[in-house]
Amino acid sequence: MRIDKRRYYHLDWYLIINGLLIFGIGLLNLVSATSSFSSGSYNFMIKQLIAFAMGLVLIVIVMYYDYRVIANHSRWIYLGGIFLVVLVLIIGLAAGGAKRWISIFGFSIQPSELMKPILVIFLANMLYEKKRQNTPLSLKDIAKPLLWTLIPFVLIVKQPDLGTGIVIILVCFAILWYIGLKKSTYAVLFGVGAISPFIAWHYLMKPYQKMRVLSFINIDADPAGFGYHAKQAIIAVGSGRFLGKGFMAGTQHKLQFIPEHHTDFIFTVFSEEWGFIGSVVLFALFISFINRCLKIAMNAHDELGAIIAFGIASIIYVQFTINVMMAIHLAPVVGIPLPFISYGGSSLLSMLVSVGLLLNISTRRYMF
Amino acid sequence: MKEENLSSKYKWCTLVLVITMTVLLIRLWDLQIMRGAEMRKLSEQNRIRVKKIVAPRGIIYDRMGKVLADTRPSFNIYLTPEDIRDFSQTVDGLAKLIACDREEIIEKMKAASGMPPSFPIKIKSDIPMDEVARVEAHRVYIPGISIQIEPKRNYPYAASFAHVIGYVSEVSDEELKDKKKHKDYSPGDYIGKYGLERSYENDLRGVDGEKRVEVDAIGREVRTLDVIDPIPGNSLHLNLDLELQLSADKALETRKGAAAALNPKTGGVLVLASRPGFDPNLFASGISKTDWQKIALDKLHPLQNRAIQGGYPPGSTFKILLALRALDLGIINERTTFSCGGGFAYGNRVFKCWKKGGHGSVSVHRAIVESCDVFFYNVGLKLGVDRIHDFGNTLGLGRVTGIDLPNEQKGLLPSTEWKKRRYNQPWYEGETVSVAIGQGAVWLTPIQLAMLSSFVAGDGKNYKPQIVNRIVSTEGKVIKTFEPVVNADLKLKPGVLTIVKDGMRGVVNEPGGTAGASKVQNVLMSGKTGTAQAGSDKVKLGDHAWFIAYAPSDDASVAMAILVEHGLHGSSAAAPIAKGITETLFKVKTVIKEAKANENR
Repeated sequence: MRIDKRRYYHLDWYLIINGLLIFGIGLLNLVSATSSFSSGSYNFMIKQLIAFAMGLVLIVIVMYYDYRVIANHSRWIYLGGIFLVVLVLIIGLAAGGAKRWISIFGFSIQPSELMKPILVIFLANMLYEKKRQNTPLSLKDIAKPLLWTLIPFVLIVKQPDLGTGIVIILVCFAILWYIGLKKSTYAVLFGVGAISPFIAWHYLMKPYQKMRVLSFINIDADPAGFGYHAKQAIIAVGSGRFLGKGFMAGTQHKLQFIPEHHTDFIFTVFSEEWGFIGSVVLFALFISFINRCLKIAMNAHDELGAIIAFGIASIIYVQFTINVMMAIHLAPVVGIPLPFISYGGSSLLSMLVSVGLLLNISTRRYMF
Repeated sequence: MKEENLSSKYKWCTLVLVITMTVLLIRLWDLQIMRGAEMRKLSEQNRIRVKKIVAPRGIIYDRMGKVLADTRPSFNIYLTPEDIRDFSQTVDGLAKLIACDREEIIEKMKAASGMPPSFPIKIKSDIPMDEVARVEAHRVYIPGISIQIEPKRNYPYAASFAHVIGYVSEVSDEELKDKKKHKDYSPGDYIGKYGLERSYENDLRGVDGEKRVEVDAIGREVRTLDVIDPIPGNSLHLNLDLELQLSADKALETRKGAAAALNPKTGGVLVLASRPGFDPNLFASGISKTDWQKIALDKLHPLQNRAIQGGYPPGSTFKILLALRALDLGIINERTTFSCGGGFAYGNRVFKCWKKGGHGSVSVHRAIVESCDVFFYNVGLKLGVDRIHDFGNTLGLGRVTGIDLPNEQKGLLPSTEWKKRRYNQPWYEGETVSVAIGQGAVWLTPIQLAMLSSFVAGDGKNYKPQIVNRIVSTEGKVIKTFEPVVNADLKLKPGVLTIVKDGMRGVVNEPGGTAGASKVQNVLMSGKTGTAQAGSDKVKLGDHAWFIAYAPSDDASVAMAILVEHGLHGSSAAAPIAKGITETLFKVKTVIKEAKANENR
């Protein structure tokens, strides 16, 4: 393997350090969040670190090939991703009423997580020509990307993993917006967007999903049932007050008042222990990271790189925002992990592959 | 154009980021700063449960130090509303595990609706071990349930002491509403409802402790934060004697009636038995509806303490009162005789003596021994009802004696003033004739007649009946000793008491005495029988049997009154019970004596 030495000089150290800071905070937080589990926090930390190490290897691999080469093969990568997602439905491992994992070489992976960056590359490859021509997309133009997004969306929602499904759809729209839409396209999309909640409510949503929405609207409607998680979550966050209860001193998660507090609800653990001050710092790190992604997109060598970088920025933004909003009861409960922070190998790998792509794009920004 | 377009996209992105950050920070500020204190409190309430440690109730001992009421551990089921996830899952699940209706559980929860949701509600008390095991095994599936080991009141002699010791039961809603009196009580607490348990509630109860524990989301205790130990209730040492009580109770067991025995030198209550009774243990473990209805609706009124609440005409036992008063006033003396021809004509009515042929010429001694009615018709008329009333009142008759039990009845001792007040009518002398032999408008309780007996036995002095001798703390420190309180201390004319006491000794020990069959070997017992008409002239019920007695005759250490409702004759129904008590007290072993007598033959 031959690595062009020049690229080291162009490595985006800002992005790397910012990402490492978030991951470091996440690892520390994970120790506290999992300390009450019978298997102990050590076990979780090691698993997360193994995933991190594998992610670093993936970063190197991803960076080695020019992102344009990767994009050229994006259709095969996409098909591979779809294959894995279908495989989940057939031989998936069930946990908590959902089939989301498959076991490969003793590792259980969650293909829907990997589908996010794959879809970004796939869509970017499909659409960057339009972006270069700078022609706003007509309805006909968006039909194809929407279709290719809906296929994994439907498969993933069937698992059911509504959270990842929502992320995929939102990221697809963000990319379409980034490329530019005709006014008529905007109008139609807004129209569809306005009626889709009703269709979803009446035809698509499962009873427990409806209950989550209802208890989001009125938290006290069912405090012992679906409202319980939301209520305990805001109690955890609120009880952190200005300075927090201190590392390892949170009681809400430790005494099991909050379910999934090491994965989807991990922000409550952090906010309870580090308070308002800690949360502001974490928010600042995320915003700074997302901003850096956008910078990479802006300075990318070509439209392909810009779209990929923007797509990744939108993945991180959507996940961060929805996850935090869910924890502080500004959004209904939905299973979306907090990037770099939530426990889960697939999520972390997916994020690190994305970082690999970002570094790939940023180091090649001066190439011709 | 292209650059312009791009930079406008990034401006939008920046705007979105700024708005997002603003919204999130405002919300965080609201939760963590504005409502931080409230949320912190909620999180503390979440994890900290205050658990009551019920103080062990004071033990009740008899005068020899034998345990009459104590506490033993019991397993109780609690439900914490806050921890319930799915109401019907928990309630139905619990109803299935323990023999208990769904409605009963819901009712209990409704009763405690005023308490905070973190307050555990007691659902069932004293569950058997197999239910404990079942609930323990399924607890994880029914969040909100907990089992607590708590002291439970135990009455080893069950019904034999039911009317004296009383019982404890869960505090009722009505009692809880009386905030002043019951401010330290919360639903599920036990409170003395009857008998000594009620009179001495404040001494017996002790002070409950508290344990603050950290619990997790399904209510499991994670660790104890701190403990305030309970202060056990103080013990009561009674004047009551276990063996005497059991002797009297056994004799009454199959009948209706009461026995009261006092120490004439102190007023200490040695025996206070009443039958029918009930099992106080049923109340202490949370009485079931059917058990309660069975007791409450029983026509024999097992919840009435006949010894202090039952009013009965005293019959001939009342003659002692008349003899004392008439002799003291000099209306009659030892030699005064009246002729008994079996009847006494007064007005247009003939009052009969119980002995058809009459007693002939009788003095006061024979009149007591043989219970001549005609003699006392004459004495009664000479005394007049008011002097009988006043004297009886002084001794403790026709008013509450002040025994340390709740709801004592005062009975009735008539007077002209009473008749005027009650019926607005003058007193007729003919009524005095009836009163003279303890009939008519005279209603006395067994404890009051025991006071009369005690007055004679105590040579003109009697004391307020007192069941509790002293209150002792768990460390053995005597907190309070109840000194004898004099009820009546009269200087009677010399010789009066000797005459009456001779008469009463004769009742048991002389030939022709009405209670000759109840003579006690080795111990001289004195007494007076009574056979009182029950019901009215129209509805004839069996006569009530009375016997008042004291022993030994010369220096009495026990004075008593026995009543057997519809027992027919004082001599055959009531006197043997007094004999039994005396034999038990003085350890007279009848059977062995008889065996020896056979040997000698």
